This record gives sequence, C-alpha cells and structure tokens, in this order.
Amino acid sequence: MAGKRLRSDPPTSAVTPRRSAILNALDGVTDPELDRSIVDLDYVTDIDLDDEGGSVAADGDRRGKSVTVRLSLPTAWCSPAFAWLMMSDARAAVESLPGVARTRVVLEDHVHETELTDGINDDRPFAEAFDDADGDLDAVRRELDEKARIVRQHRALDALLDAGATPEQLVSLSAADVTFDPLGPESERAIVSVADGAIRLCVPHDSLVDYVEKAESVGVDFESGPLFRTPEGDPISVDQFDLVRRRGRLASVNMRGQGGVCAQLHESRKRQRAREAEGAD
Amino acid sequence: MYRQRGEDVFVVDAHVHHWDASEENIKHDGGEQFIRCFYDYHTGFTPEDRQWTLDEYRTYSADRMVEDLFGNGAVDMAIFQPTHLHEFYEEGFNTVDDNAELVDRYPERFIVNGRFDPRDGEAGKQELERQKEEYDVDGVKLYTAEWKGDSKGWRLDDPETFEFLEKCSELGIENVHPHKGPTIRPLNRDAFDVADVDDAATSFPELNFVVEHVGLPRLDDFCWIAAQEPNVYGGLAVAAPMVQNRPRKFGEIMGELLYWLGEDRLLFGSDYALWNPDWLVELVMEAELTPEQRDEYGVELSTEVMKKVMGENAARLYDIDIEEKKKELQSDEISEQFGLGDHYAADAAAD
Repeated sequence: MAGKRLRSDPPTSAVTPRRSAILNALDGVTDPELDRSIVDLDYVTDIDLDDEGGSVAADGDRRGKSVTVRLSLPTAWCSPAFAWLMMSDARAAVESLPGVARTRVVLEDHVHETELTDGINDDRPFAEAFDDADGDLDAVRRELDEKARIVRQHRALDALLDAGATPEQLVSLSAADVTFDPLGPESERAIVSVADGAIRLCVPHDSLVDYVEKAESVGVDFESGPLFRTPEGDPISVDQFDLVRRRGRLASVNMRGQGGVCAQLHESRKRQRAREAEGAD
Repeated sequence: MYRQRGEDVFVVDAHVHHWDASEENIKHDGGEQFIRCFYDYHTGFTPEDRQWTLDEYRTYSADRMVEDLFGNGAVDMAIFQPTHLHEFYEEGFNTVDDNAELVDRYPERFIVNGRFDPRDGEAGKQELERQKEEYDVDGVKLYTAEWKGDSKGWRLDDPETFEFLEKCSELGIENVHPHKGPTIRPLNRDAFDVADVDDAATSFPELNFVVEHVGLPRLDDFCWIAAQEPNVYGGLAVAAPMVQNRPRKFGEIMGELLYWLGEDRLLFGSDYALWNPDWLVELVMEAELTPEQRDEYGVELSTEVMKKVMGENAARLYDIDIEEKKKELQSDEISEQFGLGDHYAADAAAD
C-alpha cells in the first residue's frame, strides 16, 4: 500500500540535531494504552543536548550529540510495563536521528523511576531490570496494539459509512480497493472502490492510513484477506457487522475515558508541583 | 434521600472508606505515593470550591464522614470497602475492624464488607470466618494489587483464590467486589486484564461479582465479559465523578454500561473520601445524555433507571428492604442529629 503519511520530514544534511527534530521524533511515540503521542500528552518535560566527544553518531559523525529526554507520566503509579514501552520507543526514535550519538531517557516522579531509567539506559531487558516483571512485555504491547487497531478501525468504518458505503460493501473490501493520495501527496484523500468497482468513494485519508498502519503492525495480512476484521482478527460476516461496530465503539469509549482520567491526573499533578515549587522559592 | 421530579431516590453509596494516611501511619514510600495519587484523583475530579487540602485528606474524623455522607441527606446508606495495605501503613489504610466501629455506632446506616488475601492461606480463611462471625459480612472487597512480602499482586483465577471463593460461598458471603480499576501500580501481568473475573464468575455462579470502577481502563473487556456473565455487576466509583468535568465522557460510559449490562447491574459508589457524595450524588442524578448519545445507545438516564443505579440494585444484593429501611431511618441517631426524620416520613413521596 503506497503513500504512507510521514509524521515529519527527516533532516537531510544537518549533523547537529535540533530540538524540534527530536520533538518530532518523539511525536511518533505513543502512549500504548491511549494510542496518542507522548508529545501531545505532554509527557516530555525536558530535552537536553550535550556534546559527546569521541562517540560515533548514527550517521557516522564522530562528534555526535548526547541527548537526554525526560519523561513524566500522569501518576507515580502508571504501569511500569507501559512506561518501559514508551521509554524504549523514545530512545529508539531519538537515536535514529542523524547527529545523535547517545540517548538517555529519564523517567521522573515514578515509583520505579530508578529501576526503569537504569534498565533502559543500560540496555537491559525489562524482565531483568524490573524485579516484579512476570509477564511477557511483547504480549502486553501486542494486546494494546490490538486495542488500538480496533479503535482505529472503528474510526475508519465511521468515515466510510459517512461517505455512503454499506455494511455489505465494507466487510468485503480489500486493501487493493483503496488508493491513497490519488490526487497527489497533498490531497490527503483516499479513493475507495466498492461494489466491485462500480462505485468509487472519495474520503479523507487520515483514519484509513492510521488503521492500516496499526493493522500492519499487529500482523493483519492484507494480501490474503479483507481490509477490516473482527477484534479477534477474523473476516467480518454481514450479520456480525453491527456487533463489531459496537465493540469498536466500546473500545473507543474506553480509550477516550481513560485518556480523560489520565489528562485530569496529569493536570492535577502539574498544578501540585507548581505549587510546591512556588513554596520552595 | 435525594428527590427528583417529586420522586424519592433511596441512595446506597456502595463504595466508601474511612482511611488513615496520616504521616505517622505511613510505613513505606508506597504509602505516601498512594495517598498522593488518590489526592490527584480527588483534585482532578472535584469542583474547585469543594476540594480538601492534602492534610485534611490524609485522615478525617468519623464525625466528618458521617456528616459528609448523611448530613445533607444525599446518602441514605453506605457500604465500606476495606483496603488494608499493611505493607504501606503501620495500622493499615482502611481496615475491616476500623470500618466495623462505625457500623457499631450507626448500624442502620453502614454495612461493612470483609476482605481476604489468598496469600494468607489457612490463617486467611480463619480470618474470613471471624469477619463473618463478628460482623456478619455479606461481601468482600478484593484488592488484587496489594503488596505482600515479595509478591506484588494476585489474581482471581489463582487456585488459592478459588479456595477462598469456595469459603465465601460456604459462609454465605455472596458479594465479591474485585478492584479492577485504574490500578495503583498495575503489575504488568494484570495491567489490563479482567479475564480472571470471567473465570471466577463462571466457576461461582452463586456469587455476585461487582467489578469496582467498571474495569476502567478496561471498560471494553469488562463490558464484553459482563454481557456474557449474568452474575457480573459494575461499581461506578471513579466513573461517576467524570460527570463533573467530563460530562460527555460520563454520558458515553453510562451509555455503554446500560447497553451491555442493563440498568439492573450497576451500583453507584462515591469512593468517599476520594470524592464526596454531597456534590457527586446531585451531579450524577442530574446528568443527561446528549441527543446523539440517546440515539446512539437507545437508553435514557431516567429517574426510574437512576433509582436502580443509585440504590435499588445494591439493596437487592445486600438484602435491604428499602421501605422497611425508610421506617427505621426516620428515627435513627443520624436522622435525629441532622433533622432528617421528615425525609423518611411515609407521606414524603406522596406529592
């Protein structure tokens, strides 16, 4: 499937990473539970750049920068597994930038900030860094990604229903029926061919691109099956369509509800810290 | 009693605590972080002019609690859900025995639930027997994320837990309230898992499982399970206060719950002192779905529905005869103290 949206243009010639480029890279990292950018969620509290003599950056620059990214989550009790996923994704995202020699990710104001920070920066596996890890981190990520896929699918189905597609058409749609950006990369539209090509719908491409991206990451095989699937990953029969939509709606409500709780906690915490800082002056 | 459109609404607050997070009682850093996290919830979802200071919040007198719950007539009865946390607090955070003291003082108003921890083994079973014998508990609150020695949590489908659920069944403790909410430090293994409730509910059809905090942040898993298990209920603590500053989200969550579980399986709870029913009951009772939400879910937050959610459903689980209870409450100590007698008079609802 062509025409994937890039979140930002990677810097081409600059060897000194800019703060904005780092922020852009971090913007692609999501809170796995809320499926939203850690930058949008305001988890990134500080980005610090230092010269690091003698290190070799990803692009071969001998004097790459050392970057420290500080993260703070909505509560001191946020799941260590979720924190770990965000920290390791953040580190990988920043290290992939040209001119960056070394990246440290520091978790602040968390019950397990020391174990998690040390573990990530010493390249240790989660199960070793975190005493109480007794689950499979990849399974945690997969399950959250699956939920994100269901929520994104719900949005994509909504957009197509709004554009006039019927359930019968949607359940039999395949990836080959979708063409992204047929009018050029700026068009941000997709053409969806339904009813065996008899009807072509032009829709905003956002929700479809987001869905495809997440579905691919959880291993949905678009070559050999329909575009949309049940939460369990199976093709959707027409009489299941309503139930699948309701389950998608439920997953969206859950994600938005939890997002609301996290945002409120995050704000309370920031207010409290600001008050404490004032008191300390 | 709350009154809406000429109808009395009997309110059972099915989730309250009388806790002690005073600095003297804190044993471990976790105890301090725990109460601060609660406090963030409190300030995040409480109208600004009704917020407590952190010091007030650490611990509060029984008199204050009684006044907050019943003084203004918002709540008619309340159910204690203990949370021991002995690893964090010297004398525990909110224990069965401390809660029971209030039941002793106001037996018409409070119900105390017991608790168990499957990691306590035989001694734990004896303790559960004691709770039944001394306090005649009809329910247990289960806090699966509680620390104990090296262990940082347990599950409802552990074989040891099943032994305790069997014990509950034998003792006639019918209502099991697992905390499945925005877990305080969710372990990676149970961070979003309500599957253990499914197993337990299927294996013990004679027990009622009231999933506290409606599984948020796993509302979707919870509803999916509850739709298939008739003995699974939802406790609204934590979802309810969203009505204050996230009314649309509150409407969506209520819409989903009413759609998947129906109006007979939801129980109001304030989570006092996380939130205070003196403002929360009114906001929840007056909440409305948007026209789009009404269309989408095909449900209404009508007085009839809300009477069930606010009290009748809990009354059914805890064998409370509301009409009898009203007669009893007309002249109990609390009605005397706060002048609530008329509230419960037989003709109060006649207009």
